[in-house]
Amino acid sequence: MPSRYVTIKQDEPDFLNYLWGRNEKNNLRAIPVKTYNLGTAEELITFEIRDISEIEKPGLFVYISSLIKLKSFILILFPLFYVLSKNYLSNTFFDPIGIMLASVSSILLFAGMNIRNDVYDHISGFDRVNLDSNNKPIRLGWISPHRASRWSLILVSVSALLALPAALLHRELVGVVAAAAILFFMGRFSKNNSYKQQHLGEVILILLIGPALASGYQVALGAGIDTEVLGFGALWGFAVFYLIQVNNFSHIMTSSQSGIKNTMTKLGFDLSQKFLILAWIFFIAVWFLFHSQYANPRFAALSTFLLLVFSLPLFMKIANIKSPMGSGLQIVRKVANKTFLLMVSLFLTENFLYLWEVLF
Amino acid sequence: MSYKIYSSKDFPAYLPKLNALFEDLFSGGKGFRSKLIGIVSEPLAVPQPTQNLLAQTIEFIHNASLLHDDLVDRSHLRRGKKTAWLKYTPEYAVLAGDYLLARVMVNLSSFGNIKLVQYTSEMISDLLEGEWLQDSIVGDYFVTLEQLDRIHNLKTASLFKWCLRAPFISIERYDTNLHFILNEMGSILGQLFQRSDDLLDYDIRNHEGKAVLGDLKSGYLNSFGSFISKGMKPAQIEQLVKSAGLEELYLCFSPDDGGGKQIFLQKVAEFDQINVKLIELYSHHLENLDKLLVGEEKKLLENLTPLTELLYWRRRPAT
Repeated sequence: MPSRYVTIKQDEPDFLNYLWGRNEKNNLRAIPVKTYNLGTAEELITFEIRDISEIEKPGLFVYISSLIKLKSFILILFPLFYVLSKNYLSNTFFDPIGIMLASVSSILLFAGMNIRNDVYDHISGFDRVNLDSNNKPIRLGWISPHRASRWSLILVSVSALLALPAALLHRELVGVVAAAAILFFMGRFSKNNSYKQQHLGEVILILLIGPALASGYQVALGAGIDTEVLGFGALWGFAVFYLIQVNNFSHIMTSSQSGIKNTMTKLGFDLSQKFLILAWIFFIAVWFLFHSQYANPRFAALSTFLLLVFSLPLFMKIANIKSPMGSGLQIVRKVANKTFLLMVSLFLTENFLYLWEVLF
Repeated sequence: MSYKIYSSKDFPAYLPKLNALFEDLFSGGKGFRSKLIGIVSEPLAVPQPTQNLLAQTIEFIHNASLLHDDLVDRSHLRRGKKTAWLKYTPEYAVLAGDYLLARVMVNLSSFGNIKLVQYTSEMISDLLEGEWLQDSIVGDYFVTLEQLDRIHNLKTASLFKWCLRAPFISIERYDTNLHFILNEMGSILGQLFQRSDDLLDYDIRNHEGKAVLGDLKSGYLNSFGSFISKGMKPAQIEQLVKSAGLEELYLCFSPDDGGGKQIFLQKVAEFDQINVKLIELYSHHLENLDKLLVGEEKKLLENLTPLTELLYWRRRPAT
């Protein structure tokens, strides 16, 4: 059957209904195939109107894991593990129920925010112009943005309910959550409100995914806030920030053409390459300082050396990349993710070694 | 319709080799872009001198890009003849290309429509951006179809878009919606033309007898190449790149006798299917264009409808 298309301009009354997928009559779904003049009053989108039953959907696991971005859960699970093992080792693990509630709550919050992020990227146009091979449920028409947004709200609400008892037990947690909420809304309501598309947003993201998350966990288990957890949070936040920069670098051309402003588009291709190399060297230096302060000095030296060795392919790939358009960008992204995982495995090994010493 | 694009009177005779180089360059071209100007201009009743100016503009820009492109790619042949940079010198090839672009600006600014000058300048910068990007991916055999589409949209489609929009601009029709539709149609036509041209490299609908696997041998994985190599293992891609001929290339898909060719043809059918969707999108824009044209202008639809047949399927549309 020939495809049916609709092209609709931003000032037309049905524009938002199509964009949000609020008009799914007769089992039809509007999937954007082309966006023009993104971010201007002249924005236009051509939608392909498809029968929902004809849209190829994957199995339930792939569907859900793509929707909540299961692959990225390491970003909140590792800080949880770190805080748990740190406090177990220092005998400051006072409230197992509090930490359990906080953990489940943060996982649900993260899942909800990941869905929200996809909805935002779809509505703002980031995902409509930066096409990549990742499974994006909204872009592929598996779910409408409207429905995805509803799921996100449900997950965030359940997360808030679960966090409530922990917050009542540990008043400090209210402070952490309030500070995180202020940062969150500062990011949301500032101009061009995406954490990936503005400089203030990038700083807020480091603070939220790093110090706020790690100290929140620690407060929930009754140990309060200390400099080590804040230091770990800053280190972790910076590593996540780095991954976002690499991702933005991989979209540098399409983002620039669409007027999206972030650190990478501002620096341009050549300076971004240098920035990414220097930023990861800076991370390694901070890694060394953190471990010199809070870990076994021999491990600090050894792990820094290993991290440096693990990072060599990343430096080489970034330095050798020739085009803002070819396959090199995806390779850099893959190698950056691999380097990140190797860094996490170093951290894991360190913590397991300490636990081993105490337990056996 | 036929336009006189090149005349030696337009260029100084005292410059050595300049006119000889242009004689070589302008003879033998199909002049498709200037024909496109004609089929858009006629229903709009664009005055003949303006049509001539537009046709000359697009051909000058196209040929300037060929002069530069051949040098960048170190190509030896153009339209069956020795390329300008080889026959004359690389310096003359660059300067002759620059001269054509300068002439475009002189002619257009004399015409006096500043919007046309601005749009033409934008088109030239898109073209150069596309060239630059294409050069940056030479030797990249893992490039995706989406990435190549973006390059082709700058490099190939920008000229098609100009052919559809410039006649309207020349008669001072600046309606944003109209230009949006024409822009998209030009973009699709450019993409279809490029993809069809890329298929020739794999001997598909190669009625002109173009040399097979030329792009691949010069280190460039074209749109069809990137489509068939999607999901291949690096070793398979290496085998594909090293293929001396099509028979060898089929073996990348399957070592079975005939099996590889069957898979290859299946890939061609899948590629065609993607482009059928693009043609459907073109038809959608044609329907929207219909709403913005009045009276005699509607004849433009008749002229634009058969272009996809011609450009992608490389067959004359049924009358």
